[in-house]
Amino acid sequence: MFVEFFYKLKDAGVPVTPTAFLTLHKALANGLISSLSDFYTASRAILVKSERYFDLFDQIFAHYFEGAELPDVEGFELDEIAKAMLDQWLTDPQSVADALGVNAADLQNLSPEELIEYFKERLKEQTERHDGGNRWIGTGGTSPVGHSGYHPGGLRVGGESRNQSAIKVANERRYKDYSRMGPLTQSSMGEALKRLRNLVPAGPKDQLNIDESIYQTMKNAGDIQIVFDRGLKDRLKVILAIDNGGYSMDPYVHVVRTLFNYARSQFKELKTYFFHNTIYDTVWEDPARYRKPKPVAEFVKNDPDTRLILVGDASMAPYELMARDGSIYVHERSGKASIEQLRFLAETFPHNAWLNPVPARMWPYTRTINAIAQIFPMYELSIDGLEQAVNQLMAA
Amino acid sequence: MTKQLQEKDQFSGAKRYVLDPELAKIVNISRSLEMPLLLKGEPGTGKTMLAYAIAESLHMPLIVLNVKSNMKLIEGLYQYDTLTRLNDSRFGDSTRDVSRIEDYIKMGKIGQAFTAEERTVLLIDEIDKADTDFQDDMLDVLDQMEFDIIEIDKTIRARHRPVIIITSNAKKDLSDPFLGRCNFHHIAFPDPKMMRKIIQVHFPEIDSDLMDHAINTFYQLREIDMVEKKPATRELINWIRALSADPDFKPKQLVKGELPYLGVLFKKSQDYQYAANQVQRKKRF
Repeated sequence: MFVEFFYKLKDAGVPVTPTAFLTLHKALANGLISSLSDFYTASRAILVKSERYFDLFDQIFAHYFEGAELPDVEGFELDEIAKAMLDQWLTDPQSVADALGVNAADLQNLSPEELIEYFKERLKEQTERHDGGNRWIGTGGTSPVGHSGYHPGGLRVGGESRNQSAIKVANERRYKDYSRMGPLTQSSMGEALKRLRNLVPAGPKDQLNIDESIYQTMKNAGDIQIVFDRGLKDRLKVILAIDNGGYSMDPYVHVVRTLFNYARSQFKELKTYFFHNTIYDTVWEDPARYRKPKPVAEFVKNDPDTRLILVGDASMAPYELMARDGSIYVHERSGKASIEQLRFLAETFPHNAWLNPVPARMWPYTRTINAIAQIFPMYELSIDGLEQAVNQLMAA
Repeated sequence: MTKQLQEKDQFSGAKRYVLDPELAKIVNISRSLEMPLLLKGEPGTGKTMLAYAIAESLHMPLIVLNVKSNMKLIEGLYQYDTLTRLNDSRFGDSTRDVSRIEDYIKMGKIGQAFTAEERTVLLIDEIDKADTDFQDDMLDVLDQMEFDIIEIDKTIRARHRPVIIITSNAKKDLSDPFLGRCNFHHIAFPDPKMMRKIIQVHFPEIDSDLMDHAINTFYQLREIDMVEKKPATRELINWIRALSADPDFKPKQLVKGELPYLGVLFKKSQDYQYAANQVQRKKRF
């Protein structure tokens, strides 16, 4: 039952597991679900384990159930659920027997085919008893659980009923903001910040913690126990270089700057520079890229241990990156191609990463992204990408 | 035991908890499937309060395990009090029998929930603070409903399967085996309608002008971007409390953009300054 729904979820990328699917069937078999909105709530709670997938789930749920007549208990669907029950029976006979209210020993003597038949019979009976119709679940169903008080000790929901249909609820897409897709936005700021917290140095555990050692020794009834702490290391220096030229980068510049500014206190030093598309001879300290130029030759005098983080879409005309006179600004004509400058930077600051707001699946289509990704390890400007980038930057 | 009762006595507020019907359904399903329920959501959406509300409405005692970052699983299960035993063996002035190790085993919170006389609600609060190993090991224990006390070679089996509620603040996902064993719900931040109900429950006699304006302003303030820690329900409640305690305050001030006690809402100095600036600017235009 709902096997197709299950696979739709799986195909769409919601990480669903067969175990959870069986659990859902257990809930169905227990008679806990008697309306579509129950099914929506239950299947989401059981199958989907992260709010990031709630939105996707909503979309698929709406797609799958909208307008479509609800599946009949007869025929194929019933076979599937009976099979699922058989599988569960094989692993845990007692719980299935309990769910059906029969003696486990009685069922032991049946062959698998007989068992399936038996389950089907039982399922039919059960649906008839619960809903009175020939549908396994129905939108107009009355719930045996919930506020009617059938379920002993169940939570009281109060007098309200949920008039919205589940599809309507699903269609609202209330969880859109939590979706993992898409680049960093202001709403995911707090979360992104947590990723940055890992950007702290950790030395080896080589300093004796006297107080803790005494305490642990006492706890150990006098047997000496020595406790070591991590040695303090200097905090990191971070250079943030942001591509703020062109409309494509506009939405991200502010987010990225704010993000790092909030994390500032944990760094020893945070410098922000700007560039347009790629780096030629100069980077700028002011966002307008006009007043405070900083020649790359000077820029590289920073401590080589500095973490260099570049943010940009790395998308431009290939000649801008490759040609020796590629810069779109006339005054930048040192005769070095930008790609060489980038290589030089990557060599100067071995701890580096490039964050790209373009989704990773689009990268192969842009030549310059490929070229730059060979120089700097490139990550998506998303929560996950940020986490990977931090790992990369902290790797020794 | 007495401590739990006190905790229960202190909490006067399932009447003060506004339950979302969807959430109630999920709680019921998890109970009947006997699976732990994992709750995530922004701070201030009432994850912890839910466990209190469940315990109260089901008339079960509540046991709270507050997870700490350096916690070992064993602390949640039991503790072997070696120090007392050492002391007793030296001075021997207690009624405990030094040769019986069992006398020095103290049950942790999970142990208490397992050995309790009646069914309990076990709240495991902020599980994301501990490391992954802790989480997986704990789920094993909760799955099997038993654990061993190594020192006395005894297995503690749960007498009644507790109703388990687990909360997590982290937006990071917990490990897959962990998630596989729980049901999951994400409590979204309450919408203004829900918030109105919540405020009504907390302040039954609140002036409706004050409530409307305060809630409107609150949601406007939450819209301000670039704020690291957005004010949550708890802050709003305290803010309303502060506003109603001030005799000079008139709800109309809020409409004009005069917002006293911003510090109740914004607790980080950067956030506070930023929000104050924004408010000033709005007032001018």
